[in-house]
Amino acid sequence: MSRYDQMSALGLLAPMLVVLLVVAVFPVLYSFWVSLFDLKLTRPHRVPFVWLANYATVFQDPLFWASVWRTTWFTVISVAAIMVIALLAALLLNEEFRGRRFLSAVLLVPWAIPYVANGLMWKWIYDSGYGALNGLLFQLDFIDKYMVWLGDSEKTLALIANAFVWKEVPLATILILVGLKSIPGDLYSAARVDGANVWRRFVHITLPALRPSFMLVLIYEAMMAIRHFDLFFILTEGGPAEASHVLAWEVYVETFRKLSFGTGSALAYIMAILTFLLAFALIRALGKKL
Amino acid sequence: MSQRSYRRREFLKASAAATLAGTGAFSLARQAFAADPINFFAWSAGVDQVKSHISAFEAKTGLKVAYNNAPWAQYRDTLVTKFVGRAPLDVLWVSDSWLPEWAEAGWLAPIDGYPQLLKYNADVDDFSTQSMMYKGKQYGLTYYTDYMGFFYDEDKLKKAGIGAPPKTWDEVVQQSLKIKKAGLAEYPLMLSMARETWLIEFLSAMVFSHGGRFVDDSGVAVMQDKKRGAHAALSWIVEAVNKHKIVSPACVEIGELNGLKAFTSGNHAFALLGRYRVRTLNDPKQSQIAGRVRQALMPAGPGGSHATVGWNRFYGLTSQAAANKEKAANAVKLIEWFGGKADGKYAFQKLMFMDVGSGFAVKPLFKDAEIIKAYQQYSDIGMYERQQALAKKKDVISPWFGEWDEVNGTAWQAAIVGKSSVDDALRKSADSWNKLRKQG
Repeated sequence: MSRYDQMSALGLLAPMLVVLLVVAVFPVLYSFWVSLFDLKLTRPHRVPFVWLANYATVFQDPLFWASVWRTTWFTVISVAAIMVIALLAALLLNEEFRGRRFLSAVLLVPWAIPYVANGLMWKWIYDSGYGALNGLLFQLDFIDKYMVWLGDSEKTLALIANAFVWKEVPLATILILVGLKSIPGDLYSAARVDGANVWRRFVHITLPALRPSFMLVLIYEAMMAIRHFDLFFILTEGGPAEASHVLAWEVYVETFRKLSFGTGSALAYIMAILTFLLAFALIRALGKKL
Repeated sequence: MSQRSYRRREFLKASAAATLAGTGAFSLARQAFAADPINFFAWSAGVDQVKSHISAFEAKTGLKVAYNNAPWAQYRDTLVTKFVGRAPLDVLWVSDSWLPEWAEAGWLAPIDGYPQLLKYNADVDDFSTQSMMYKGKQYGLTYYTDYMGFFYDEDKLKKAGIGAPPKTWDEVVQQSLKIKKAGLAEYPLMLSMARETWLIEFLSAMVFSHGGRFVDDSGVAVMQDKKRGAHAALSWIVEAVNKHKIVSPACVEIGELNGLKAFTSGNHAFALLGRYRVRTLNDPKQSQIAGRVRQALMPAGPGGSHATVGWNRFYGLTSQAAANKEKAANAVKLIEWFGGKADGKYAFQKLMFMDVGSGFAVKPLFKDAEIIKAYQQYSDIGMYERQQALAKKKDVISPWFGEWDEVNGTAWQAAIVGKSSVDDALRKSADSWNKLRKQG
């Protein structure tokens, strides 16, 4: 490539590079810079540079570790449920049967609902006074009086995970279905000739072939679950007590309620690094088997 | 907008004015100054009423007002961002909860130097004026004042054979158990204990009526002291939920608005709600128990009184407006027009009361014939006034209130759902308070 071509390419790329620098690189670096200050918006005249003290404060806070544990629990439960349900749904939709197209369309409905609307819908469903869940269970005689759902700290996180899974399953199903469609039919034909039954075909052909799809779903959904905020905001605001106080909620409270941008930025960085490390570990662990 | 650009704008105007004066068009230059509007920011309540009152102000004074608003839920964040970004703000609605924070940051200016505003204090309920004071200085004139009230469904009490509403929290327990036994309500008392901005008002009402305080006069936490009312108040709630089962365990997920809906649907016999909600409670279009809801004085705890918590929203003057003599003079006129008298009458408070039911702190309005007539249609104005006279301002309002409120709300909820003891919850809350106070 001639020097002229190189300069032309750089010239053509320059506008986008500038945009990326301004809207992506600068905010990321600036937020790290902010995390080194004890910056509270409500105390604008005193903003001392504190080096990494905000990070130390975060790591010394028991609430932070409790929220890490809750986030881990929420992520593991949610992602496991999404993977299993999405795999079953994808296997079903991969078969030819009457109404398959209709079922596929119905399956996409939760995906099409915005997160905030999804949260409000589940708030109605879970409401202890007039919620649909209580109404249904009561009419079916499973309960003899209305139950407390989100207000019960033992159930809160599982109920939020349920709402999250409901929303995320369609996308995971599509991703796995794409994987299923890409498996050559010859492999199944050959296995049948060799006398492999349905279970053996599933274990030895389908599952290995789906590894790339599984990895994609696993990484994407894990990152979504770790960073998820909307449902926690709408359904419980981190409560009752600290029952749903997860990392994303901690970042919100620190930054937008306490207006402590220094600690909030430090927390956001910690969360981003944890997410990155998780994704990296998953790729390292599963990528080798691709 | 930065101070620098502000000065530049002023400079440009001044230059333009000088040029115009030089060319003999001095009257046009005066108009250029006069056209700089008073920047008025509020939350999005009573928007039509505010606009109509602004129109009257503009017609009367010839001054222009640039009115903007933001939803209540995002108001604090919006305003803090505007202050930090030095956006043009002259007059704004302020909640008593944010006063120390904004005053300490230097965003609000005291109005002590404006006797034309201070003269209205003589007509205002004391707790309301106190809610606008910080470090001995007054920061505004009241826009709206109200308090946490105790309401009951008269029908349910009669059906349970109860002749009079409870006077103490012990009587609330006894009457609730009676109502529960009669099958009239599973959870007779509706309490909203969800984590939201209203929570501190509910908690303060309970604490004050138990004769307690969160902090003493010197600002030191006393909430953890077993002999003080906060401990008694939280113990009462915990027992009401877990022992007597007269309050739903779901109270920790019920916010003020959902609590109102639950009470209007006839599920409860008693409720703690903002006083102004009585209009909705007795409105047949909005309430299934319309016509049956009465207000009683806040029940008293052992050693307590009928005290309740009151809150105040007021017109504040920004420091940037106060720094400019002409701006300040115009802003003060607008504050008086809204928070004081307009054409010799408390016109805006009355308008807001008649149109949307907002409470007022100016005592002469309790004698206003139209207000009395309107209020008597759905409640008892005598009770309204009596309870308001017993209202107290929140004692936890401080520059660190927002941070402490997060910890405190969580601690009280933890005790209610049985995740911690009353002692531990209040100690945690007190420790947080003292730590934040030390940090300043």
